[in-house]
Amino acid sequence: MEVRLDGVVKRFKNVHAMAGVSLTITEGEFFTLLGPSGCGKTTTLRVIAGFYDPDEGAVLFGDTPMNGVPPAERGIGIVFQNYALWPHMTVADNIAYGLRIQRVSTGEIESRVQRVLHQVGLEGLEHRTPGQLSGGQQQRVAVARALVLNPRVLLLDEPLSNLDAKVRSRLRSEIRRLQQDLHITTIYVTHDQEEALVLSDRIAVMDHGRVLQIGTPIELYEQPASLFVADFIGTNNLVPGTVATVGDGMAVLETPAGRLRGKVSGQLAAGRRAVVAIRPENLVLDGGGDTDVTMKGRIVLSQYLGSLIRYEIEAGAGVALRIDVSDPKSHRLLAPGHEVAVRFASSAAQVFPEDGAS
Amino acid sequence: MTPPAVAAAARPAIARRVRAPALVWALPIYLFLAIFILYPLYRLFLDAVTTDEGQLTFKFLADFATDSFYRRALGNSLIVAGGTVVGCVIIGFLAAFLLVRYDFPGRGAFGYLTMLPIIMPPLVGIMGLVFILGRAGTVNIILMDYFGLARPINFIYGWHGVLLAMILHYFPLITLNVVDGLSKLDASLEEAAEAVGSRGLRRLRDITIPLVTPGFVSGATLVFILAFADFATPLVVGLQNLIASQAYLNIVQFVDRRLFQMGIVIGALMAGMAIVFLVVARRLISMREYAVVSYRSVERRPLTGIARVLAPTFFVVVLTLAFLPYLGVTLAAFGRAWSLTPFPTRFSLEALDAVLHLTPVFVINTLRWSGLAVVIILIVGVPLGWILARSTLPGRGMLDAITTLVLALPGTAIGIAYIRAFHQPLPFLEVMLTRIWIIMPLVLAIRRMPYTVRATYASLLGLHRSMEESAASVGASGLRTFKDITLPLIWRGVLAGALFSLMFALQEAAATILLFLPGWETMTVGIFTYYTSGTIGQAAALGFVLILICAGTLFAVYRLTGARMGGLFGTGGGG
Repeated sequence: MEVRLDGVVKRFKNVHAMAGVSLTITEGEFFTLLGPSGCGKTTTLRVIAGFYDPDEGAVLFGDTPMNGVPPAERGIGIVFQNYALWPHMTVADNIAYGLRIQRVSTGEIESRVQRVLHQVGLEGLEHRTPGQLSGGQQQRVAVARALVLNPRVLLLDEPLSNLDAKVRSRLRSEIRRLQQDLHITTIYVTHDQEEALVLSDRIAVMDHGRVLQIGTPIELYEQPASLFVADFIGTNNLVPGTVATVGDGMAVLETPAGRLRGKVSGQLAAGRRAVVAIRPENLVLDGGGDTDVTMKGRIVLSQYLGSLIRYEIEAGAGVALRIDVSDPKSHRLLAPGHEVAVRFASSAAQVFPEDGAS
Repeated sequence: MTPPAVAAAARPAIARRVRAPALVWALPIYLFLAIFILYPLYRLFLDAVTTDEGQLTFKFLADFATDSFYRRALGNSLIVAGGTVVGCVIIGFLAAFLLVRYDFPGRGAFGYLTMLPIIMPPLVGIMGLVFILGRAGTVNIILMDYFGLARPINFIYGWHGVLLAMILHYFPLITLNVVDGLSKLDASLEEAAEAVGSRGLRRLRDITIPLVTPGFVSGATLVFILAFADFATPLVVGLQNLIASQAYLNIVQFVDRRLFQMGIVIGALMAGMAIVFLVVARRLISMREYAVVSYRSVERRPLTGIARVLAPTFFVVVLTLAFLPYLGVTLAAFGRAWSLTPFPTRFSLEALDAVLHLTPVFVINTLRWSGLAVVIILIVGVPLGWILARSTLPGRGMLDAITTLVLALPGTAIGIAYIRAFHQPLPFLEVMLTRIWIIMPLVLAIRRMPYTVRATYASLLGLHRSMEESAASVGASGLRTFKDITLPLIWRGVLAGALFSLMFALQEAAATILLFLPGWETMTVGIFTYYTSGTIGQAAALGFVLILICAGTLFAVYRLTGARMGGLFGTGGGG
């Protein structure tokens, strides 16, 4: 089922929780709404679910307008952040409740409940109550309850945020696998950019009720369209400065770390404040390769993480850089206090106007 | 109680060091409860099944069960108590649901006013109702004088009047519990139901009501017992064939041995009901464990259309009825020679002067006994709350059970139990405790202790242990920590609980009526005896003063707690 939002505005009192959101989620896609808390992602999900009606704009499932249609008639399944399992019902009753409402026959209820329990790997727990389950199990029951009605769209509102790291990463893979098996259009809300990158076909990054950028994980990571996205997705070294020259899609900035060059992203003009963004893995210590920009600095912190070595380097007043060296074996660990030259390829750096607006 | 136990196991050395002295100061508290709760109850149950010679017999129980008079009285009592519960549940749930879920004109004010009926004991309530709705009350006089009604309508004399007074008094208990339950309900639980097509009444039945049931049922059970055991209220309108009224008459009039024995059996029956309450409450506590973490409460929706008018109308009607007694009591307190007119024609301060200056004994005694009771409650109840919340002392489950039991133990039952248990010379003193005035504050302290214990317990639970531990870690001693950290953070809650204890001690109209000797009379005793002997003005004046004092106390509680006191009446306390 294709889901489309067209210029949706949702206000609470005078706050624009959604300030004109337009996006299209294609059939069978795993689509993530990503952003910091208060960015409007959960509101967007609840508008799609039908718990809120938009103040302006339209929600469409396929070609059918959904404004005013109650949640139960939209063909959605929803998993809440706290699972919202009914504590006075058993696992089986929780899952079967929607089927009973639809007056599905007892025999069919039985078989459908068994089928989803199998899908989420919870066979044998149907007579427990939610209080007797672990967090991870409760989360699976919530997914099963959402799936048993064969929804056209699956909505997940930060479903993993209450679980510990190990369970979270396991369930993450399971949710993705289940979604691909069922080929169900899935909309996922999270504030965890790593989760979004791992799970999604496409991601919409939101802030202040607006969609800032929509793209695949690779596009968002490698070509962030704004300073906000560059900062929010992955780790980035951000060095502020003043634009010296702009031309040929490249800009040169005067910064405390020296003159830095990078690709132009957004409206830049000489004399304006701007920020250079370079990812830690694109910085190199020992020169070499295609690097064409150099900064001088001093190691402040060196951390050995097994698969990589991470340095924090002070390069000029107030500029702290993080560098990840991904092949520790061919590199001798440098102690803090060491003076180094940090280099990068200007094609791997991006220059954004300072206010973040592109 | 497992978490403290686990914590203790993790630090055996510290627990052992604390335990020995803790037991020493805790021992008097254990003894106090054993002597003043367990022993009287034991005597009550024992006396119900033994002869004067100490032989075990079921004759009294059989007598009671086969006596058609008592069977009818029991039936009547069950009807009154059951009717009270049904009425309270309907009004209480509706009021709570409207207050929590919807917005309509006057919602905030109604929220506060709904709690006010609690400050008037039903004894005063029914007296006030009689002034307005009685045979010669305002409404009947108006109907006869202006609408040509030949004979007054019986609004109030009989079980329906008792029912009215009880419902108007007790429905706020249900409202408090349901408001508490509904506010804790996470919105997603209902939204999840909506997402699978469960809406409106179906969702209310399948999801919402079951989830607020723990608070609901405990409140309802409590109301049932309180209504069942109240004897003073029915006697005001001349209703004698209720089981509680019979118990009172049998015990106090002491016509013959057999009747007295029947009073004891009835007292034991009531105590038995309190134990049933305890069992119900225990089960509900285990259900409460499923309270999910609430992220987001259900949004309050504005009412529209006809409902926007109906909701305030509902509150206006209920509250008007609930305030009629206040009007009646006030008019009668200040009215002079008020008869056969809708309202008093002349007003005076005579009656008020009589109860405040000429015979101030009722007011003085009430303040004296209740004040002393609160002192006892603070001395025993606060450490008790601490033992329940913080210590690893043995017998905490038992202490918690006793606290809950006392909450439901009717004053009638405890009064009879005290008469049986302490009507014998004390060791070494050669005098009976029932002949010493201290028994009045003692019985009040026992009856009203649970509010303070629970408030202390809840405040301590709200105060994370790490705050005390970090004080200890920088070198503060146990007592120092309590003074500098614990006390400043919990005193509000404790004081609110103590004020609740005080308010309900002031209102006590069962145990004290059974136990008082000449010279010890309280205001409720005064109201009861003045009214039943026909000195209406003084009864009303005492009622007026009592209401004022209770209202002042409740106001203080509001200021202290911001009106979050639902937990005090439920079962959620020490679990």
